[in-house]
Amino acid sequence: MSLKNKACVVGIGSTEFTRNAGRSEIHLAVDAVTAACVDAGLEIDQIDGMSSYGTAGIYAAELAPDIDVARSLGIPNLRYFGQTPWGGGASCGTVAQAAMAVASGVANYVVCYRSLKPASGTVRYGRPTAIPAEYRYSYYMPFGFASPTMWVAMQAQRWMHETGATREQLGYVALVCRENALRNPRAMFYGRSLTMEEYLHSPMSSEPFTLHDTCLENDGAVALIVTTPERARDLKQKPAFISGVGFGTSYDSHSMTSFYRDSIGLPECTEAAREVFRSAEMTPKDIDVAQLYDAFTVTVPMQLETYGFCKYGEGGAFCQGGDRIRLGGELPINTSGGMLAEAYIHGMNMIAEGVRQVRGTSTSQVKDAQNVLVTGGLGVPTTALILTQGN
Amino acid sequence: MSIEYNPKYMKHFYDPVWENFESGFWQGIKQRKLKFQKCSACGTFSHPPRVRCAKCKGDAWEWVESSGKGRIYSWTVVRQEVHPAFRVPFEVVLVEMVNEPGVRLVSNLVDCEASEISFGMPVELCFREVTKEWALPMFRKAGG
Repeated sequence: MSLKNKACVVGIGSTEFTRNAGRSEIHLAVDAVTAACVDAGLEIDQIDGMSSYGTAGIYAAELAPDIDVARSLGIPNLRYFGQTPWGGGASCGTVAQAAMAVASGVANYVVCYRSLKPASGTVRYGRPTAIPAEYRYSYYMPFGFASPTMWVAMQAQRWMHETGATREQLGYVALVCRENALRNPRAMFYGRSLTMEEYLHSPMSSEPFTLHDTCLENDGAVALIVTTPERARDLKQKPAFISGVGFGTSYDSHSMTSFYRDSIGLPECTEAAREVFRSAEMTPKDIDVAQLYDAFTVTVPMQLETYGFCKYGEGGAFCQGGDRIRLGGELPINTSGGMLAEAYIHGMNMIAEGVRQVRGTSTSQVKDAQNVLVTGGLGVPTTALILTQGN
Repeated sequence: MSIEYNPKYMKHFYDPVWENFESGFWQGIKQRKLKFQKCSACGTFSHPPRVRCAKCKGDAWEWVESSGKGRIYSWTVVRQEVHPAFRVPFEVVLVEMVNEPGVRLVSNLVDCEASEISFGMPVELCFREVTKEWALPMFRKAGG
């Protein structure tokens, strides 16, 4: 029994990415789902499942709950609804859950979505207003250790110390993502180039990070529709087959503060990597293009290591100069610009870009892309997908 | 630098909450003692606290007072303000305890310039009052 190629992504939809969307998260989600239905060639009422996610530790879709989105769309009934916890770590997991739901016959057309407006809304990630009620934050918040940037900075400093990775190497991640965004008119940073000089001389936010090491803050929503290959035949788009799925928490897992393991790396990624490659019956050598979750520059080289594209300690060197990770290189990454330069939709926009690579419609298209790896958020329990042509 | 607290926001950030199985840690802090959870059966330390020992699955614990000696495992210097409760810059450190194997603790480094911090640097425990009720365990350079 395997999930391999039992489901596919048949529709992608997005709102504009902007500093101020002028409408609520529910409204943005409705617009993205509507666009995904149009893209797929489905009637809205055919949607009978929803797979969503919220921020870490809060098991809800936050400000765009599934029933509110379904109600505004006039969907008569959801035969499947589910949420995946742990913020951006959940992104690929929503698609994995949708695949399980359609492959098992629980639902026929499941929409996965994420809608957020940290740029103009009331919930601003990285801007805490008080100690959250969850007990675990008592070990951090009273010390002013209060934002994802600080939490990941703590991991980054240690990893850089252990591996000898440099800020310049992280800079190439930012530069390559920016190059990709310059070809993508949807991107927040479309038309705004970045030089290494600017990167290196930008003020520190939380060492070793500057503004250019952390993702965008924007409003927007992205939705994807998952169904079976049989149903996909009647729809408009070339399907992107879900060949592999992976979840991983590893041992002693905390939400963004897994500082207590022997090695401070990303063992949850190692677990998700093993599962995603096992279920797709592939190895890293089979991957033509990767959308590696990039809420922070540093997580790209760390994932190159944990997903097996190089050994531990070689991720920084892999990014040096940018040639191996840019379009035309051995592993082009984040071809829409990723979350450093396209938009921060908690990873959902990176799955949509993975689908475009399979379809052949990316603005930074990798020639003959067969197999695309997409990964979820880091420093949290994480998930991953391999999308393919299905051959 | 040392971390500076803005009294206006005291109740927003500085009142810890905890689960029942963590009381040993926070009750210790209230008495200005740094105590860690140690498995009565196999002697394994655990921080943050757990319900059962990850190694032997035992659920009997002792709360052992720490020597307070540690080494810098990692750190960050926060230079961009995320909330007026904490004036920047300040240093957050991840301290690996010397006498409690496998235990690391997040805290602040006080009375030390950011440029002085290095990996493996020896530090020692000190308590700093942050509210009328709470003094928190922080660290300073050992022998400093």
